Amino acid sequence: MNFEPDDNQAAILDGLEQLITAQKIEPPKHPTFVAFSETLDAELAASGFLDIAREEGFSPLDAALIVERIARLPLCAEVAASALIGPLFPIDALQRPVAVLRGSPLGAARFLPQARSLVVVEDENVSLISVTPDRVVPVESLFAYPYGRLASVEGLAVQRFSRDMVAAVLRRWRLSMAVEAAGLMQAALDTVLEHVKTRKQFGRALGSFQAVQHRLATAASTTNATKWLALRAAWSDEEADCAMAATYAQDAIPLFTYDLHQFCGAMGLTLEFPLHLWTYRLKALLGELGGSGGQARAAADLTWADAA
Amino acid sequence: MAATPSTIEDEALAAFRAEARTWLKANIPDHAAPLDGPQSRRYVLEWQRKMYDGGWAGLTWPSEFGGRSLSVVQQIIWFEEYARVGAPSTHNASFVGVNHAGPTIIACGSDAQKAFHLPKILSGEAIWCQGFSEPGSGSDLASLRTQGRVEGNEIIIDGQKIWSSYADIADYQELLIRTEPGSERHRGITWVICPMNLPGITVRPIKTMAGPAKFCEVFYDQVRLPIDQAVVGGMNNGWKTAMATLGFERGTASLALQIGLVDKIERLARDCTDPMLAPRLADLRADAAALRAMSYSFALASETGTPGSEGSLIRLYFAELAKRASDAAIDLYAIGSPALAGDHGWAFEYLDAFSETIAGGTAEIQRNIIGERVLGLPRGK
Repeated sequence: MNFEPDDNQAAILDGLEQLITAQKIEPPKHPTFVAFSETLDAELAASGFLDIAREEGFSPLDAALIVERIARLPLCAEVAASALIGPLFPIDALQRPVAVLRGSPLGAARFLPQARSLVVVEDENVSLISVTPDRVVPVESLFAYPYGRLASVEGLAVQRFSRDMVAAVLRRWRLSMAVEAAGLMQAALDTVLEHVKTRKQFGRALGSFQAVQHRLATAASTTNATKWLALRAAWSDEEADCAMAATYAQDAIPLFTYDLHQFCGAMGLTLEFPLHLWTYRLKALLGELGGSGGQARAAADLTWADAA
Repeated sequence: MAATPSTIEDEALAAFRAEARTWLKANIPDHAAPLDGPQSRRYVLEWQRKMYDGGWAGLTWPSEFGGRSLSVVQQIIWFEEYARVGAPSTHNASFVGVNHAGPTIIACGSDAQKAFHLPKILSGEAIWCQGFSEPGSGSDLASLRTQGRVEGNEIIIDGQKIWSSYADIADYQELLIRTEPGSERHRGITWVICPMNLPGITVRPIKTMAGPAKFCEVFYDQVRLPIDQAVVGGMNNGWKTAMATLGFERGTASLALQIGLVDKIERLARDCTDPMLAPRLADLRADAAALRAMSYSFALASETGTPGSEGSLIRLYFAELAKRASDAAIDLYAIGSPALAGDHGWAFEYLDAFSETIAGGTAEIQRNIIGERVLGLPRGK
C-alpha cells in the first residue's frame, strides 16, 4: 500500500498550488452567502486540471486530489462534477461548468446558474441537457454554492445515455461529494484550530480545555477518515466504495459542523468570520442524493445485493 | 408527577384556552416579522402593544406591575395556542425586555424603576437589549472590563460590549459594568439600566450567517448615567443580579420557544412521507415530547421563585434539539423547496439554530453548571 502521492500526483498538486498562489485567493471582503469565483473557475478549466481523469495514465484518484485541494479554498468553483463526472461522457458531448440533478430536470441544482451542461440522472437513463444561463432561474441559497433551476426544458438540446450510465454517474457523484467534503472539513478544521489556539477565556487558550480538545480531536479523526475513505473510493472507483465514502461523509457532517461552530462562539456565527464559507457547503452536500440514509441504502444494496 | 396542561384541563382552563385561541386567531399579524432594523422594531412594538391591549401581555407578571398574576399553567396554555396559530416568534427584539429586564426589575429594582420601566416593557413602548458579553469576555463573563467610574451621583462608562442583539433599535440596555476599581471576577460588578440614546454610545450591527444584522457591538465613551435611576440590585452587586437574569434565560424565559419548537417538530413529523427519514423524525418527535415534559415540569416547579440551576438541563436539551430539528427539516424538504426559503424558512432556522448552543451561556457552560450545581461534582480548575 502506498499513501504517498506518486511523482505524477506530486507534480499535479504542485502545479495546482502554483495556480492557487497566482490567484491570490482570499475570503470575500464583504459578507456574502454565495462565494463563487468566476476567475478561479475559468482558470482551473483553462489550465486543464479538470480534464485530468481523461488523460492517458491518469485516473479518478488524480482528479479527486484536485477536488479535495480546491474545496479547501474559501471560494468555490465548479470542480467536482467537471473533474469526476464529466469524464464519463464523450469529450465533445459535454461542456462545463456542469450541474447534476437526480429525478426531475426542473429541480434546484448547484452551479446551474453558471452551467453549460446539466446531467440528469433518472431511473432508467441519464439525460445530458445543454443549458445557457438565460434559461436558469436563480434559487435563493444560504449554502455558499450558487443554485438555480431550469424554467423549462423546452427547446433545449438533450442527449440520452443508457442505463449503465445511471450507475456510473451516481458512483462518481457520491465520490465527488465525499472528496469535496474532505477538503471542506480540513479547511474548516484548520480555521477553528487557529481560533482556539489564540482565543482566551478564563485566562487560558480555549484549545487548552479538554472539553474542546476532545471534540476537536474527534473532528480531526472525522476529517482524516473522510479523506482516506474518499481517496480509497477514488482509487478503486467501485460503486460500493463510493457509496460508503459518501455515507461516512454525510453522516459525519452534522456533528462536525456543530462542534466547529461551537468553539468559535458568537463570532463563528457571523459573516465576518470565515468558517461559514466551508460549513455552508458541507450542509449543502449533506442533503444531496437523499442524504446519508440514501447513500447507506445504496452501499448496503451494492455490498450485500448477492446475499439478499 | 405534575399534570401537563395539554392532558388535564378543568373547565376554567379549557375556557381560558378557548379565549386565547379566539383572540389569537383574530389578532395575529397578517405578515411575517422582519428580522432586523427599524421595521423589526415597529413590528415587535406593535405586536406587543396589541397583546397588551388585549390583556395578553405579562400573564404571569404580578398585577401590581401591569401583569395578570395568572398561573404558570395558564402561561403554558397561552404559549401552546400561540405556537398553534403560528404567532410571531418570541425570540425577537422584545425578548430581553419581557423575559430578562422586566423580571429582573421586578425582582431587584427600586419602586421608581418598576413604575417607570415595567409599563413601557409590557405595553410595547420600549425595546431592551443585553450588554453582558465583551470581545474578551464571552463564556468567561466574570472577566468583563467595561468600566463604570463613580463621580458624584453619576456613573461614567467606558468600554465595549458585543453580541448585543437589537442594540441598534433598542431604547434601553441591561448592562454589566465593573464599578469597583481593581476588583476581579464576580466582585465589583454592577447591573445598570443604560438608555441607548445617551451621548457617547455608538452601535455597530453585525450580519449573522443566517442573514439578519441583529448582533451588535456597542461602544461607550464617557457615557454618564444617574446612579439612582440606573443601578438595579445595588452597587457592586451586579453578579447576583445578572445571575437572576441568566436564571430566567436558562429557565422559564424560553418556555415559549420550547413550546414553539415542539410544535414545529410535530408539524415536521406530520409532513414526512420519506421512509428513509421517518425513523429520524420519530426520534425527534420523541425528543420533543421529552422536552415538553421537562420544560413544563420545571416551569411548574419554578412558579414560586427564581428558577434554579436545573433550568440548564432544559436549556441544553432544547438548544441541541433545535439544531437537530432544523437539520432534519433541510433533509426533509431539500434545497429549492419553498419550506426552506425566506426570512422564516427552515434554511434560516438551520443557520440561526447554531446560536442556540452559544447565546445565554454556551452548551459547555450549561454542562459546567449541570455538573457543578445540579450533580454536585467538584468544580474544575
